[in-house]
Amino acid sequence: MAAKTADKVMTLTEAATLVRDGDTVALQGMGTQMSPLAFVRELIRAGKRDLTIVMIVGGIGLDWLIAAGCVRRVIAIIVNLDEFGMAHAFRRAVEAGEVVMEEYSEHQLLSRLLAGAYGLPFLVTRSGLGTDLLALHPETTRIIACPFTGQEVVACRALVPDVAILHAHRADRYGNVQFFPKPIWLDADVFPRAAKRVIVTVEEIVENEEIRRTPIHTGIPYFKVDAVVEVPYGAHPCSLYPFYAFDRALFQEYATASRTVEGTRAFLDRYVYGPTTHAEYLQRVGGAEMLLRIRKWE
Amino acid sequence: MAEIARDYTVDELMVVTLARQFRSEDIVLNGTVSFIPVAAIMLARATHAPGLTWVAGAVGVDAYPEPLSGNTLDPTMWRRCVMYLPQEHMWSYVHRGVLETFCIRGAQIDKYGNVNNTVIGEYARPRVRLPGSAGMGDMGSLDKRIFIWTTTHTPRTFVERVDFRSCAGYLDGGDARERLGLKNGPQLVITNLCVMDFEPESKHMRLKSLHPGVTLEEVQAQTGFRLLIPKEIPPTEPPTVEEIRLLREVIDPRGMRKLEFRSTPARA
Repeated sequence: MAAKTADKVMTLTEAATLVRDGDTVALQGMGTQMSPLAFVRELIRAGKRDLTIVMIVGGIGLDWLIAAGCVRRVIAIIVNLDEFGMAHAFRRAVEAGEVVMEEYSEHQLLSRLLAGAYGLPFLVTRSGLGTDLLALHPETTRIIACPFTGQEVVACRALVPDVAILHAHRADRYGNVQFFPKPIWLDADVFPRAAKRVIVTVEEIVENEEIRRTPIHTGIPYFKVDAVVEVPYGAHPCSLYPFYAFDRALFQEYATASRTVEGTRAFLDRYVYGPTTHAEYLQRVGGAEMLLRIRKWE
Repeated sequence: MAEIARDYTVDELMVVTLARQFRSEDIVLNGTVSFIPVAAIMLARATHAPGLTWVAGAVGVDAYPEPLSGNTLDPTMWRRCVMYLPQEHMWSYVHRGVLETFCIRGAQIDKYGNVNNTVIGEYARPRVRLPGSAGMGDMGSLDKRIFIWTTTHTPRTFVERVDFRSCAGYLDGGDARERLGLKNGPQLVITNLCVMDFEPESKHMRLKSLHPGVTLEEVQAQTGFRLLIPKEIPPTEPPTVEEIRLLREVIDPRGMRKLEFRSTPARA
């Protein structure tokens, strides 16, 4: 395990080398909220291949990764762009047989990840009884009888991602990661505990003393974290409550562009491959005017 | 007697009909892209069910985010709540039955109230890959009282048998659900044409009331299986003037509920 004062600050490019082709990557993101999208753009530029992406709710970042050819398999409960509609690259890739969707109910997937986090072989749930979900993957979900009562429950096999990637409010150089408020969504809570390696991008890197003054906000301790990258607005176009709202205009632009393969490609060229730095990206998506707008939450 | 509204639209009728199903003792949470349920929850709380507890956007316990904004899971939904509910707590309350009511919609709904939001066609190589089961894969199996809503009452939505069972309704009908140890289940189906319930013995979907201007023939023609038809078919109870005023002026002045009437690209 990492030393208490090992400096884990890296650039996006350096941190991306911790993700290897073929890895199972747990990627934070809840619809239009809290997703490490600056890091996702870096993964795409780095040309990663054959990734298995684990998301509770797959969204815009996953759709970009699929469109860029980085993904072989998706483990999720749903993939869409929230009220902006279908995730078209995902839909096209699954319909063409290019990407496999391993679908679970939410509590099944949570149970798999919690089993991973605890180092247990499986945990049980009642979720999914009576659905067709169980028959999809007998190697990971199976009905078993309770040894005490005989009640039928679903055993959910442990899932241990190779790497978890999150975006949070702030951290120190050693990887003590703080959230304002503390993690609410499952991914920020369970991904870092279940995964082997953890990469966190943050709005701001602060002094260790500042963390010690406010430990009530710390969600992940240094010993679980491998890399810290400072990326202000690193969740854009998703929101980071309460700092900034999601960028409705860019979501809408992608939802429209992604209806065709060509449109998707043009979007990626303009916003993912085009900008060479995160600052340049922020300029291209609307600069100071846009940032002011999302900070005001409309 | 409250004054009956004369001027209202189908989205408003759907919201009001759903709102009247909620009870003051209910604890309800909402899912993604759920403008009609969220408006209905807000309306119920503002009228006959002041004690209703709403876990807004699945996080904000007893939040008061009125008016309705652009995203039903957004942090703006958590305004003035008493607690941000960690999702692991949320799932324990769902499992234990503390949270008992949930609203669901999907691409396909069959005669026993099973819902599909996963694929059209074969799972491995689907004709249409839909978004996925998400919470409905849980809620159907966890004894919830389920209210199904859809703004597209067509034979494509209402099918004899769903291509994929994302949400457990009454399964193959009769006592199939009960035999599996699952309690409650779908209570009502509210569409842009009518309201339907389930016949208690067979669990087969049954017409309950028709919206104004809609005929029995039209509903049957737009339903891909034979509906059970009761002897008396009343019109869907209309909204009151006060319900419409609350909806238009306080709860949803921006008309977010109408977003659900866009043609869904999922089905294109």
